[in-house]
Amino acid sequence: MIPSTPADQKPKSIPRAYSHPGLPEPADKNYAVIGKSKPKIDAREKVTGQARYTADLKFPNMLYGKILTSPHAHARILSIDTSEAEKIPGVKAVITHKDVPTLKYGIAPARWDENIFCIETVKFVGDKVAAVACIDEETCYKALKAIKVEYEVLPAVLDPLHAMDADAPQIHPEYPLNKNTEIHQNFGDVDEAFRKADYVRTDFFIGNRTYQAPLEPHTATSIWQDGKLTVYSSTQSPHYFQYYIAREFGLPMGNVRVIKTYVGGGFGGKLEPTGLEFGGAVLARLTGRPVKMFYDRAEMFAHNRGRHRQYMKLTTGVNADGRILGVHADFIMDGGAYTSLGIASAYYAGAMLTLTYDFENYRFDMNRVYTNLPACGAQRGHGAPQPRYAFEAHLDNIAKELGIDPMEIRLRNARKPNTITPNEFVVNSCEMVACLEQARDLSGWADKKGKLPAGRGIGVATGSFVSGAGYPIYRTDLPQAAAMIKVAEDGTAATLYTGATDIGQGSDTVLCQMAAEAMGYTYEQMKIVAADTETTPHDFGAYASRQTLMSGAAVKEAGEEVRKQLLDMAGEMLGLPAEQLDVRLGKISAKENPETALSFEEAARTFFVKKGPLMGRGSYAPPKLGGKFKGAPVGTSPAYSFAAQVSEVEIDEETGVVTVLDVWDVHDCGQVINPALLHAQVHGALYMGMGESIWEEVRFDAKGKIQNPTLGEYRLPTALDMPRVHSSLVPSYEPAGPWGVKEVGEGATLPTMGCFRNAIFDAMGVSVNSLPLTPEKVWAALREKRKANGEDVWDPLACECFLE
Amino acid sequence: MFLPDFDYYAPESLTEAIGLLMQLGPSARVLAGGTDILVKMKSGLLAPSALVSLKNLHELRRIRWDADRGLVIGALATHNEICNSAVVQERFLSLAEAAHKLANNQIRNRGTIGGNLVNAIPSADLPPILIALGAYVTLKGSDGSRTLPVECFFTGVSRCALEPEREILTEVVIPPQETTGSTYLKFGLRQSGALAVVGVAAAVTMEGDVVRDARICLGAVYKTPTRAIQAEQILVGKRWNNNLLEEAGRAAVGCCLPISDIRGSAEYRRDLVRIFTRRALKCAITKGHV
Amino acid sequence: MQAIADKKGVKRYLISLTVNGDEYSPVIKGNTLLVNLLRDELDLTGTKKGCELGDCGSCTVLMNGKPVDACLVLALEADGSEIITIEGVARHGELDRLQRSFIDNAAIQCGYCTPGMILSAKALLTRNPHPTEPEVRAAIAGNLCRCTGYVNIVKAVLDAAEVKA
Repeated sequence: MIPSTPADQKPKSIPRAYSHPGLPEPADKNYAVIGKSKPKIDAREKVTGQARYTADLKFPNMLYGKILTSPHAHARILSIDTSEAEKIPGVKAVITHKDVPTLKYGIAPARWDENIFCIETVKFVGDKVAAVACIDEETCYKALKAIKVEYEVLPAVLDPLHAMDADAPQIHPEYPLNKNTEIHQNFGDVDEAFRKADYVRTDFFIGNRTYQAPLEPHTATSIWQDGKLTVYSSTQSPHYFQYYIAREFGLPMGNVRVIKTYVGGGFGGKLEPTGLEFGGAVLARLTGRPVKMFYDRAEMFAHNRGRHRQYMKLTTGVNADGRILGVHADFIMDGGAYTSLGIASAYYAGAMLTLTYDFENYRFDMNRVYTNLPACGAQRGHGAPQPRYAFEAHLDNIAKELGIDPMEIRLRNARKPNTITPNEFVVNSCEMVACLEQARDLSGWADKKGKLPAGRGIGVATGSFVSGAGYPIYRTDLPQAAAMIKVAEDGTAATLYTGATDIGQGSDTVLCQMAAEAMGYTYEQMKIVAADTETTPHDFGAYASRQTLMSGAAVKEAGEEVRKQLLDMAGEMLGLPAEQLDVRLGKISAKENPETALSFEEAARTFFVKKGPLMGRGSYAPPKLGGKFKGAPVGTSPAYSFAAQVSEVEIDEETGVVTVLDVWDVHDCGQVINPALLHAQVHGALYMGMGESIWEEVRFDAKGKIQNPTLGEYRLPTALDMPRVHSSLVPSYEPAGPWGVKEVGEGATLPTMGCFRNAIFDAMGVSVNSLPLTPEKVWAALREKRKANGEDVWDPLACECFLE
Repeated sequence: MFLPDFDYYAPESLTEAIGLLMQLGPSARVLAGGTDILVKMKSGLLAPSALVSLKNLHELRRIRWDADRGLVIGALATHNEICNSAVVQERFLSLAEAAHKLANNQIRNRGTIGGNLVNAIPSADLPPILIALGAYVTLKGSDGSRTLPVECFFTGVSRCALEPEREILTEVVIPPQETTGSTYLKFGLRQSGALAVVGVAAAVTMEGDVVRDARICLGAVYKTPTRAIQAEQILVGKRWNNNLLEEAGRAAVGCCLPISDIRGSAEYRRDLVRIFTRRALKCAITKGHV
Repeated sequence: MQAIADKKGVKRYLISLTVNGDEYSPVIKGNTLLVNLLRDELDLTGTKKGCELGDCGSCTVLMNGKPVDACLVLALEADGSEIITIEGVARHGELDRLQRSFIDNAAIQCGYCTPGMILSAKALLTRNPHPTEPEVRAAIAGNLCRCTGYVNIVKAVLDAAEVKA
C-alpha cells in the first residue's frame, strides 16, 4: 500500500445542509401511464425470435472479419508476415498497424493510449495485432493462423502491487512507474478526526477482477460507401462510438452513422468502440464491402473492460456511540494494459464512499496502475461496489468492537435528505433511514440477529448510486439528452425519437410511458425510433444509470410541447381557452365540464391539416454540479438512489459452502415509472453482485493468460444458485428528476458483496477479506479460527499416504 | 470458433463401424453425443481426419435388466435417459442421481455414458459410482469383445484402455449384487454445469449395523478415478458409528493425490475428500436403498 | 447419405430434416454445426450464439422434443430429426402461453437468452405440465441469463404451468 501523501487540496469547510430549489412534490399523483407495469415495447419481438441483434444482420456481399491477437502478455513485435494468409482463397484483406490510422484513442480523453493495432509492443494476451476480412467465418480462422508474427517476449507486469516498483518493466513509456491515474483528495481534517475519535480502526480488503459477461458477444458490421461510414453495433452508446470513430478516421461526425441494433446486455462492457469497429471500418473501406466483425466468448474475456481488482485499505475513526468522524481510503487498482474508462473508475472508487453515511472528514488516495493484463473499465456500479464491500465489512468490524448492532450503527450514521457530502455532492431526496428500517422489518432482523441457529447468519449493507453522471465522458457543451415526438397525421400513433439506448434494461418502454404521460396519450399507441445517430437526436447512451432521469427529462419536455400545441388546437376547436382543457389517455376534456370532450386523434388531425406536423422537442442539461477540486466532477449527479440490503445465509461449517437463503433489497429510487421493470432491474443487479460475491473471478496464469475464459469456468450463477429475492421500495420523490425519478439499475449491485460478507461474519465470526467469498476461503478462515481457539484441526496435508 | 474439416460416416451396424475405424486408421474418432469431442475440436485440442458417428446403432441405446448379467446400459444411452430410466431408478437409483448431477439438461440430452467413460477426465461424474458398484464395460473389436472392470478402464488423464482405432465401447454392465446402499456425492462450485472439485461414491453392504462390505471411489483427486481401499478396510466387519466413518474419511485422503487448480487447492480437496467420504458413507449406510 | 467431394477433397453431404414443421434438404460440409445451419442457411436467427461450448444455452433448440445446445450438434447428426426453434413456438401469429407469460411477468430484459429459455421451459412443460419451482430451476439451469437473476423467468414458467393448456 502506498504511504499517504500530502493532500493537494486544503481542508475547507463546506455547508452540510441546504434546501433544493427543484420542483415540489405534486399533491396529486394520479398518473395515467407512468407508475404502471406496462409490458415491454419490444417483448413480442424478443419472445418470438424476431429481434435482430447485430450478429443476426446480413447485408448483400457481406464479408466476415476477425482480429489476430497477441499470445504474449508483453512482447516486442519484430515482424509481421501476412503473405501466406493473403494467398488463401476467400481472403479479401489482411491489415496490420501499417494499414490503419495510428492516432491513439480511448474512451477517456485524459489518456488516449490505445492503437487500432499494436505498433511496437503488445501489452496483454489478447492485444490487437492484425485483422482479416474473408468470404466466410471459417476462412477467417484459417487466415489468422497463416499470419506469422515474430515476437521478442518482454518481462511483464502481472502483479499490480509491484507495478510501481522502480525496477518494474515499463508498459507505456509516457507513463512512468506504470502510474495511470493518481488521486489524492482531502476533505475536512481526517487526522484531527482520528485524534478526537474514541476508536480508530484500519482494515485491508482485496477485490476481484470480474467481467460483465453479457450473453451476447460483441459484434459490429461496418459499411463504408462514398465517404460515409455506417456501423451497426452492439453498443451502449451510439454517440460515443460516432464521436470516437469520426475522430479516428478524420471524418465529420455527420458522415459516421452508428446504429444500435438489439443489444444482448452490456453492463458497461459495450460503452466504448473496440477493434471490431475500428478494424471493421478499415476492412470495409479497403474491400468496398460490408464487413461483419465479431468476438467469440474467449475474445470477449480478453477484450474485457470489466471490473477492476482493488486493494483497499480503510481507516475510520468513530466515537463511542459509533458515529463516524473521519475516513481514510487508500487504494490501488489494477487497470490492465489500457485506460478504458479507468480514470473515472478510480475516482468513483473513492467518491461514492461518502454517500450513504454522513461524515465530515474524508481522505482518498488512489493509484490506478498499468499491468500487462486485459484493460478494466466500467462494470455495473463502476468503481464503487468493491470499496462499498470493503467499507460495509469495515463498519461491521467497528460495530462488533464497540458492541453496537450493525443495523443500529448504520441508522446512526445514515445520510439525511437535503445534505451535502464532504466531497461536495448535493443530495436532495434520500430515504436511507427508511430503507434500513424497512429492510430491518421485512427481514425480521430483530428476531434473527444473534438468535439464528448455528451456521446461520444475517448481514446488512447499504449502497447509493448516481442517476446519471453530472458531466459527459469528454468535455463538451452538448446537452445530456434530447428527444423528439412526432404525432401521426391522423393522431392514432406517435413516434418518440430518442438517442437513449435500450440494452435490455427497458429504456424504450419507460421513455414511451413517459412520453405518453406528458402528452396525455396512451402507451399502447406509442412507437419508438431509438439510438441511431442519423435519425434520432443526441443522447450519451446507457451508462451511469442516466436514462430514466436525463433522457426522461428530455422526453417529458417534448411530450409537454406536444400537449400544449394539441390543447391550443383543441381550445380553438371547442371555443375554450386551452388552460381550461386537460388531456389524459387520448381524451381531451374541459376541466370544469368533462362532458365537453374531444379525442386526441381529432385534435391532432386538425392540427396537421391546419399547421403541419404536430411535433414536440425536448432536451436536458443538468445544472452545474460539484466542487472545484481536482476530480470534482466524478460522482456528481442531479440525484442519488439509496438502498439497503439484508441477507440471510447458511454456512456448511466443514466445507465452507455459503448458501444464501434470502435477500431483501429496499430501494429509494424516487417515482417509479414501471414497477415490474424496476424490480427486474433490482433482481438483475443483485444477481450480478451475488455472482461477484461468491463465484465470479477472471483468473490468470503465471504468463498473464486467462485461465477461465468460458462462462462455465468463470461460473456465471445458474437458476439453481439464486436465493429467494425480495425487492421492495420506500416512497420517495426527487425534485431534480422528471416526475421525481431516480436510478435503480446499478444501485442494487452495490450493497450485495458487503451484505454477504457481513452475514458470513455474523454466522461464523470469521471475516473473509477478499472477493469472491468462495467456499475455500470460508473453509480456510474457519480453520484458522478453530486453530486460534486451540481446537484440534486435522491437517489434510499431513496424513499417511497409501499411494506408491 | 469453428471445427476443422473431417470426413463423416454413419455406419448402420457395429461391425461396419469397427471396420471403418480399422480402415480409417488412428486419426479417426468415434462420435457419440459429441458434447466432449466437439468442444475439444473447437478448442484445437483434437483434429480427427474422420468421425464415425454411432447415431444409427440404436441397439446401443438400450437400458435393460438382465437377471444374470444385471443392469445393462448401452453405451449410447444419454445421461438423461439414464436418470429417467425406470429400471435404473429401481435397481441403482444412485446411478440415476449421479447422472442428474452431470453438466446441465441440454448436455444430458446429448452426452452418453460411453462418451463420459472414454473421455476419461478425472472429474467425470459417472465413473466413481460405476466403480463403487463394481461395473464393467464391454469393448468390441474386429476379433471379438473383451470386458474390463471400470476400475481398470482408466489409465491416466484423458487416457483409457480402449484402443480407439479398433474398438468401440458398447455397454456398461452393473452386476447384480448384495449392496444395501450406495450414493455419489459431488462437490462442484455451482449447482449446475460445474465440474466436480471432488466426487465421492460409496457402496456398502450392511448386516444390521455391521459393515460387511464397502467400496469407495474418489473422483477429481487423482489422475484417474480411484478406489479408497484403505478406507474401505477400516470399515469392513465393524459396527458403524460417526467416529468410524471419520476415520475412513481420513484414510481416504491417503488414497488420493489431488492437484491445485482454479477450482481448488490440493489441501482443500484433501479435506473435502475426508468430509465427503464420511458423508457418502453415512448416506449409503442409512438411506436404505442402492 | 449422399456425399460429394469438392476439388480439394472436402466432402459435402445432403441431409434432410424438419425445422418447425417444414422439410429442408440442405447440402452441408461435415463441420457445419446445427446452430450455423439454422442461422446462416435457414435464416432462423432466433437461435443465438453465446459461448459455442455448451455453457450458456442461448442456442437451445428442441431436437426430437428434447432441448439440446445447437452449438454442440453437428448438422449431420440432425439428419432425419425434427427441430423446433423459437420461430416455431408461436402458431399462426398466436403466442404460446409461455411466450405470453414471459411478457406478462417481465421475464425479458435484453432478450438474448429468451429463445433458449422458452424452449427449455417448453420441453419441461410438455414432459411435466405442473412442475415444482426446483424442477423449473433445474430445467433452465443450462440456460444462463445475465439480466434477470432468473427471478421473473421462474415465475413466468410457473405461471404458464398454472394456465390450463
